[in-house]
Amino acid sequence: MAYRLETPREGGGLSGTRQVNFDPVVRVAGALALHTTIDHDRGEVVDASVLGTLFRGYETILQGRDARDAIFIASRICGVCGSSHAATAANAIEMAFDIQAPPMAVAARNLLLATECLYSHAHHLFVLAGPDYSEPVVKATNPELWARAEGTLARGVATHGYERISDIMTGLTRVSGELYAEALYMTRIAREGYVIIGGKYPHPQTTVPGGISSLIDTSDMNIYMLRVVKFFDYGRKVAAVWDDIIDFFYEANPRYREVGARAPNLIDNGHFDDPWAYDALYENASRWGEARWATPGAVVDGRLVTTDLQRLHGGTEEFVDHSFYENWSGGGASGDTSLSANHAWNKETIPAPGSPSSSKYSWCTAARWDRHAMEGGGYARLWITSVANKSPHRMFCEPTGSGMRFSIPQASLPATELEWRVPQSWGALERNRANAYSLVHTALISYDLVLMCLDLLRKGEGRISTEFRIPKDSREGMGLGGSPRGLVNHHMTMDKGQIESYQVVTHSTFSASPRDGSGQPGPIEQAVIGTPLLSAPGDESYIDVLRAVRSFDPCMPCATQ
Amino acid sequence: MAHNSSAGRSNGAIALPERAPNRIAPDENVHVFWLNGMGCEGCSISFAGASNPAMEQFQWGTLPGIPKVILHHPMFSEHSGDAFTEPYRQAAAGRLGAPYIVVLDGSVPDDEALPSAEGYFSAMGAGGISSHTGSDRPDRVTEWLYRLAPGALATMAMGTCASWGGIPAAAGNITGSMSLMDFLGGNYRSSWNIPVINVPGCAPVGDNFTETLAGLLHWAAGIGPPPEFDELGRPAWQFGETVHRHCPKAGYYEEGVFAEAPGDNMCLVEIGCWGPVVQCNIVERGAVNHMGGCMVAGGACIGCTMPGFPDKYAPFHKPPPGSAISGGISKVYGGAIRRLRRMSMKTGNREPLWDNADEVPSAWAGAVGPRSGTDRFAAYFYKKLQYNGTVHHGNRYKKQPLPKSRDILTQKGIDHTQSVDVLRERSLPREEI
Repeated sequence: MAYRLETPREGGGLSGTRQVNFDPVVRVAGALALHTTIDHDRGEVVDASVLGTLFRGYETILQGRDARDAIFIASRICGVCGSSHAATAANAIEMAFDIQAPPMAVAARNLLLATECLYSHAHHLFVLAGPDYSEPVVKATNPELWARAEGTLARGVATHGYERISDIMTGLTRVSGELYAEALYMTRIAREGYVIIGGKYPHPQTTVPGGISSLIDTSDMNIYMLRVVKFFDYGRKVAAVWDDIIDFFYEANPRYREVGARAPNLIDNGHFDDPWAYDALYENASRWGEARWATPGAVVDGRLVTTDLQRLHGGTEEFVDHSFYENWSGGGASGDTSLSANHAWNKETIPAPGSPSSSKYSWCTAARWDRHAMEGGGYARLWITSVANKSPHRMFCEPTGSGMRFSIPQASLPATELEWRVPQSWGALERNRANAYSLVHTALISYDLVLMCLDLLRKGEGRISTEFRIPKDSREGMGLGGSPRGLVNHHMTMDKGQIESYQVVTHSTFSASPRDGSGQPGPIEQAVIGTPLLSAPGDESYIDVLRAVRSFDPCMPCATQ
Repeated sequence: MAHNSSAGRSNGAIALPERAPNRIAPDENVHVFWLNGMGCEGCSISFAGASNPAMEQFQWGTLPGIPKVILHHPMFSEHSGDAFTEPYRQAAAGRLGAPYIVVLDGSVPDDEALPSAEGYFSAMGAGGISSHTGSDRPDRVTEWLYRLAPGALATMAMGTCASWGGIPAAAGNITGSMSLMDFLGGNYRSSWNIPVINVPGCAPVGDNFTETLAGLLHWAAGIGPPPEFDELGRPAWQFGETVHRHCPKAGYYEEGVFAEAPGDNMCLVEIGCWGPVVQCNIVERGAVNHMGGCMVAGGACIGCTMPGFPDKYAPFHKPPPGSAISGGISKVYGGAIRRLRRMSMKTGNREPLWDNADEVPSAWAGAVGPRSGTDRFAAYFYKKLQYNGTVHHGNRYKKQPLPKSRDILTQKGIDHTQSVDVLRERSLPREEI
């Protein structure tokens, strides 16, 4: 275990085994630290611990509140994916209240969720992860790569406008680079659309039990569409930029495939409910789950093992052996004996802020599915939807079983076909590539949803909320939603409209998790262990370790609520 | 220098001194040390979404008269680990050699009171703050704060958690969270003698923060006027009014028309909007690039900029208690006003030409034809009042000949009646204004 209280610091050159701590890891969302043991003689990381260094206690703050308030409270779990938590809490409430949002409300929530992906993927690819591939970083860590980049023509020049790979790297430079600044600008464009319906971002103010409190009209859709369409050209450009960068690194050194590599164990709830299939009933979750525009599923060792939302939910457990919590006594809030004692519905949050040690080192619990360490992300959504090949809605995005074909309509650039294929190897660069294509994916879904909202308006189906009564008995509700970074699970039990327990598990509770009871490291830990040191000797930034972490696009407020 | 600002503000505003105690030289940089406490990253996302000015403009140094900002930020900085925390450490030890501003997002946990010396709810960095000891002991955010705040040019609380505690400090919390003001104490002043500046909102409007930072730096550079703050350290020009005063739906309130269900386009008070008693500017400023805003989109205000958020505004989906009185009065008074206004609109919605010709040349469903006797009678008295004591130029219309080319298609004998009459079938029920 990498976590040690006293770090031996050796002077001089980089040889032997060293304890190297990255506390904090910057340019990720939230408080994440990484402690590693690096073997310079072997040239790789031999041990790693991921620390979630924040705990706020949302789950206990939610207890005892009016169940309807869960939306506006739970949304604030995360300000990077706040829309997702609001929508997921609404789903949990609607299941518990036995009400159903009308089609326009489901479509509008989907649109908000899709637009959140547009901003978030651009933010991840260029503001967080992008600078790791920029001119100053590559020059400092791998001078030979910079020289090579200056002599390498970029294949996507017709799409992105950069003649050489070195030009792209200059564009990726933090603060001063064109691609950096453009990404910030585009995140604002996406938000401009978002706030037309959501009111504000993050933390939308219009998601309410039973629907949306925003009247959708053609003016909203006009404003929205003008912004979504900008992501057609931008999506083409982003995919071309990342294809060029990634191919360049692979051609320069095939070992870049090993950076952040691990077995593809992926999980996702799917995303974007079909307004007519979704009925907010748990017993039908397998059916409406598969009707989602992005398909739920679990991939273990590269093989799709299920697309059943109920199975995904039932197999999810949380362990606190290495987290700052006390174990809870069995039974749990739901009293559902068919579920494991470690299932979220049976979990109680008992924080115990003690001295960090090798046995307890993170505020993140170890979320596992079927006892596997799974990673969630936009890339997991793309991968699972592609291989499941079950999505019933394919206007612009066509899963093929081994990838996904995108038909991007004309904008400033002519209409084009793009295709993402399931990669042969799974590591940091492929996560980034898949996130770049996820931007294209969600841009097309956003456009598709604008068209759906317009169609509903045309048919006079503009109703956007539902009347309801607060149930007078004891109920359970579940939201199995998604965010730009993947799955978001909310589990609520309530009595007479008052919350008894509220449990949250997200993508990053999986990805950024510490070891579980059996000692199995979390996904980021697994990916960092074995990551080779490919930078020039003497580089103490260990850039490839950080590339590995950032490729997961971890979100710590989601991971440790 | 305290003074009462313009009428209509409920609170006095306090301006910083006209001349700052020190002055940032034109070529001097200001460091901004951002700390994440018990937050959600939403404040950083809001900061990155601001455009008036934008985050990167501070870093580029392209805002004339405003010193360039060296931003140290866990979400945006270049280097991780010790390389990232080293400048923080230098500032905490008074060795930075440059002016700096501390920004906190998220509330402050009661970590200093934890029984375990090394336990924490919120930490950043390891190894000891004032000296780099080489230990892995996590550095509590609380310690960063009490070491950095005294030497700062200014200390800013970004968002409601840092300003007032927010959700992590709400009922049922187990972290003992509080606001930055609570943590530093009522006597805290920065090295430039400024108390904590609070830019609340959950998440705040990004422009509110960047505009305040820009104003502060402009003043610190000896160029801009002193920014004004209210008695709780809020930028007075941003939070000096209730959000209701600029709300696009406030006119519905005035006329006593209220939304009954989410998605109704009227005043949202009866579905839980606290706007009339909440200090915020999101509806006139917009959320992003002057677009959106809670009630602009149809979302009821839940008081997320206020010290009482969330508990004093919950349960959210219930009308505020005061609305039973104020809303009830508004329905009676506003209802009468609304009826009078609709009468006025009957004459205003007609060209004078249509009055003369006594017909409305519109095939759109619902267009009114000749005026009824009552309407003529009302219009007569309306005009009497309108022109009382002044010229009645409208009278000249009566002598105005009707244009000869009215209804040109009929005059020319062009058949235009063959098209399918879709309008009648599609005549939709439309709510009265």
